[in-house]
Amino acid sequence: MRAAAYPAFALTAFQSRLVYRNQVWASAFGDLVSIFARIAIWTAAFAGATQVDGITLPEMVTYALLSGPLLYWEYSRVLYDVGDAVRTGDVAVFLLKPLHYPSYLLSTHFGHFAFECVAIVVPVALIVGFTVGLLPPASLFHGLMFFPYWAVSWLILFTLACLCGLLAFWLLTAFSLEWLLMAIMSLFSGAIIPLWFLPTPLATIFGYLPFAWISYYPAAVYLGKLDPTATWLHLGIGLLWLGLLTAAVLALWGKARTRLVVQGG
Amino acid sequence: MAIISASSVEKIFRQPKRQAGFGGSIRGLFSRDFTEIRAVDGISFTIQPGEAVGYLGPNGAGKSTMIKMMTGILVPSSGTVQVLGREPHTNRITNAAEIGVVFGQRSQLWWDLPVRDSFDLNRHIYDIPTARFADNLARLTTMLDMASYIDRPVRQLSLGQRMRAEIAMALLHDPKILFLDEPTIGLDVVAKDTVRKFLAEVNRDRGTTIILTTHDLVDIEEICPRLIMVDDGKLLFDGELKHLRQTLGSRRRLKLEFGTDPGPITLKTAELVTDEGAAKHFLLENEQTSILDVLTELGSGHDLTDIKLEEPNIEEVIRTFYQNKPALAGARP
Repeated sequence: MRAAAYPAFALTAFQSRLVYRNQVWASAFGDLVSIFARIAIWTAAFAGATQVDGITLPEMVTYALLSGPLLYWEYSRVLYDVGDAVRTGDVAVFLLKPLHYPSYLLSTHFGHFAFECVAIVVPVALIVGFTVGLLPPASLFHGLMFFPYWAVSWLILFTLACLCGLLAFWLLTAFSLEWLLMAIMSLFSGAIIPLWFLPTPLATIFGYLPFAWISYYPAAVYLGKLDPTATWLHLGIGLLWLGLLTAAVLALWGKARTRLVVQGG
Repeated sequence: MAIISASSVEKIFRQPKRQAGFGGSIRGLFSRDFTEIRAVDGISFTIQPGEAVGYLGPNGAGKSTMIKMMTGILVPSSGTVQVLGREPHTNRITNAAEIGVVFGQRSQLWWDLPVRDSFDLNRHIYDIPTARFADNLARLTTMLDMASYIDRPVRQLSLGQRMRAEIAMALLHDPKILFLDEPTIGLDVVAKDTVRKFLAEVNRDRGTTIILTTHDLVDIEEICPRLIMVDDGKLLFDGELKHLRQTLGSRRRLKLEFGTDPGPITLKTAELVTDEGAAKHFLLENEQTSILDVLTELGSGHDLTDIKLEEPNIEEVIRTFYQNKPALAGARP
């Protein structure tokens, strides 16, 4: 395998996004509208109270930005990429090259993500920061721990999207799966409502599912809602989930390759 | 040693039977019947290094399926395929590094990027040493006349330009074997000609083994001395193109024109097939018969004004072949 090819894929994906400048403006504007809508909803929900269940409004604003555009990124691109490649038979093109398809996907989508971070998330965060205000991390420890959590979050979301995309090998369409995934994830991940506002039994169950590591835990760590022991413990559980999901992706990919039906050729 | 060998290769696809109507689709969710499609049915052949082989057959004959098995992206249902001494699907990555593939209907270029960037990605993917990459790129750019558009994004290229870029892309890493699945599909006459001349040159000068599937017989005539014909997943013919003509007994056609109608003519060396009076069409008896033999037998005294000899057209040869298929099944070389 040619390791140098993978950074090159990430760079290529990044570059290819520069071509569509209007798309960048549209996405940035869309994210901005959605974040301000969520800030307005939380402001209304707090109804002048300084805190609800020990959470302050500025904390919720910061949570909305972290859990939304930054952590819960546009994963459907991964699903569509895999789904389309299967449906149109274009996956053959990747199989004809000496490369590992899941690693190719990982590097390409990391490139897309990096682009979206620079072109969309950072400007949106700056605007929100200067208008409504954002909080710094709760402590140096929490600030530093946010980074490994962020990495685990990114990889879990990527592997989940990959898994669903790969299932298209059997179901030959990723479309219905995407709806299912979208519905489950927006609730279970805490991207819309943090788990601390959910009824305790639900929050406990969701807190052990891998989806919670996408938005909820990284944002909660940033805001200092987990003490150092819990922070380390949950990072471990997150890594365990990531390992399981990665193993599932690789196993499914291996199975898909042998049962591969290249369509339309 | 053979560079590619296939022995009794079969590929069977299982397709779910679709039942008609809404009720049928609902039933299909719970129980599924499968139809078996035998895309490749017991095909064997060997290909030597440096050969150029045309793989020909009508739509749905199993050409692409065979190519996909040789490139390691489909697994044969039974039989074995060996490419460069390896089983392609179990050694997909090693195999992929040593072959080049062009699919006429699928692009391997990055749509939004300049052609040059796609080439550069291939340099990374195949780990091509920088000096060799620069050499190959310069040579291919000249040979395929790509200098004018190499810095333009792929989406702005014409089909002919794109196809030349696809072929160049498949050759940058000096593959030992080049597989092409309908490389001239949709191209205009000039573009087809460029591609054919180039492929023939690559095969001749660099010794790259070429396997090409096509509908266009001219592709085969100009690039591939050897022809493998398939239909319904079965091998119909494997051999030289001129041998195919002989096997089929396609005879050359001779047209004689006279100043005045000489009346019916019967010859031993040629058979009269159409008599238009002053113009008569004959089929020459066999490959050895020369035009001189016919004229000698005809003798002087006829008011002969023009002679025209036509080689049997390959399209015609193949059409006769498919029409006489059942009769020829036993006569396979």
